[in-house]
Amino acid sequence: ENISDFSLNITDCTQVVVPEEVFFTVAAAGILENLLILIAVVRNKNLHLPMYFFICSLAISDMLGSLYKTLENIFIILCKMGYLTRHGDFEKKLDDAMDSMFILSLLGSIFSLLAIAADRYITIFYALRYHNIMTLRRALVILAIVWTFCAGISIAIALFSYEAATVIPFTILFPLMMFFILCLYVHMFLLARSHAKKIASLPTSSVHHRTNMKGAVTLTIFLGVFLCCWAPFVLHILLARFCPHNPYCACYMSIFHVNGTLIMCNAIINPMIFAFRSPELRSTFKKMFYCSR
Amino acid sequence: MSALRLISNRTSQQASSNSDYTWDYEYYEYGPVSFEGLKAHKYSIVIGFWVGLAVFVIFMFFVLTLLTKTGAPHQDNAEPSEKRFHMNSFVADFGRPLESGRDFSHQMAEESQSLFHFCISEVDHMNKAKDGQKGPSLESNTHFQEAPRSCGMFEEDLHCLTKFNIPNFVN
Repeated sequence: ENISDFSLNITDCTQVVVPEEVFFTVAAAGILENLLILIAVVRNKNLHLPMYFFICSLAISDMLGSLYKTLENIFIILCKMGYLTRHGDFEKKLDDAMDSMFILSLLGSIFSLLAIAADRYITIFYALRYHNIMTLRRALVILAIVWTFCAGISIAIALFSYEAATVIPFTILFPLMMFFILCLYVHMFLLARSHAKKIASLPTSSVHHRTNMKGAVTLTIFLGVFLCCWAPFVLHILLARFCPHNPYCACYMSIFHVNGTLIMCNAIINPMIFAFRSPELRSTFKKMFYCSR
Repeated sequence: MSALRLISNRTSQQASSNSDYTWDYEYYEYGPVSFEGLKAHKYSIVIGFWVGLAVFVIFMFFVLTLLTKTGAPHQDNAEPSEKRFHMNSFVADFGRPLESGRDFSHQMAEESQSLFHFCISEVDHMNKAKDGQKGPSLESNTHFQEAPRSCGMFEEDLHCLTKFNIPNFVN
C-alpha cells in the first residue's frame, strides 16, 4: 500500500470514526422509511397527485443516498475480508458508479425540494388554474427531465473526477437552489401576511399568532435540516479540491464520516417533515399496518 | 468517498507513478501536513462553519417570523361604526371581484382576487367531488389544505371567509 512515510505529530487530527453499527442502523432506517412512503403512494389511488409524486421523488433520492453509504460499507468490509481484490478495474468502475449514485442523490434531493416548493407556489398563486397547469402527466414529464439531467451531471462529475470545473458549479448550484426555494416561500409568506392583516381587520376574527409562528417554524425546519445535513459535505468537497494540505482543512476533512452520517440522517428526517404531515398518507400507513396484522 | 482518495493521491504524490487504487477506510493520507505553528485552534474551520450555519438558520427564522407577523391586535378595539365600515368595504371587494370599474387599490384587488380564486376552487372541488367518485373528495379537501400548510394560515383564513363572505357574495 502506498502510504507515504512521515512522522505524525502528536497534535494530528485523526479520523473521527463512526461505529459501523450506528452507520448501518441509520442507513437501514432511512431506506425503510422512504420505501414505506413509496409503497404507500403506489398503493393508494388517492395519492396519485403531482404533490405526492414530488414527495416520492424526494424519497427516492434519500433512499439512493442511504443505499450508497450502505453499499460502500459492505464493499469495504468485503475487501477487508478478502473477497474482493483491492486493485482492480472492476472495483474502480464500481466505485465510480457508486460515486455517481451519491451525487445523483444530492442533486435529486435539491431538485425535489425545488419541485415541492414550486408546486405549493402554483397552488397558492394560481389556485384556479392549478389543475390545468400541473396535470399528472406534466408532473411526470418534469420529474423525468429532472432525473435525466441529474443523472447526466452525476455521471459527468464521477467520470471527470473533481476537476475544478466540476467542483465549482456543483458548489454554486447548492446555495443557489436553496436561495431560490427560500424566495418562493418568502413570497408565499408575504401573501399570507397581507391576507392575515385583512382578516385581522374583521370584527369576527381573532388574531392567530400561533399559526403565524407555525409557518415560520416549518419552513425554518425543513430548510435548516437540509442545510445542516448537506452543507458540511459540500464544504468537504471544496476543501478537498482546493486545500488538502492545509492543516485546518485537513482537520475539517477528518470528520468526513460524521458528515456522511449526517446525510443519512437527512434521509430519516425528510419523510417526517414532508410526507408524514399529510393526513391521507398517515391513514394509508395505518391501513397498511392493520391489514398486515 | 473513496474516489476522493484519488485526489489526494494525484495532488500530493506526483512522484509516485503508480497511484494505487484501494478500498480503504483510511481515506486520507495526510501526506506532508505539518501541524506545527498553528495560530488558531486546529478545529477552527469546523467550529466556525457550524457556528456560522447556526447563526444563519436563526437569522432566517427571525426574518420569516417577522414576515408572518399580522397587524397589531389592537384593531379588535375599533369602534362599532368603524368596524361596520370595514366589513362593508371588505364585502364589497369580494362581492365584485371581477369588475374593473371599481376604485380600490390595484394590489388589494389582486390579492382579494387570488383569495377569491382560492375559495372558489375549493368550492369547485367540493362540487366536482360530489359529482365524481368518493375517493377524490377527501383528497380535494386535504389537498388544498396541505399545500399551504407551510404557511399555516390559509385554513383559518378560508374558514373565516367561507363563514363570513360566501353567503354575501351569493347575494
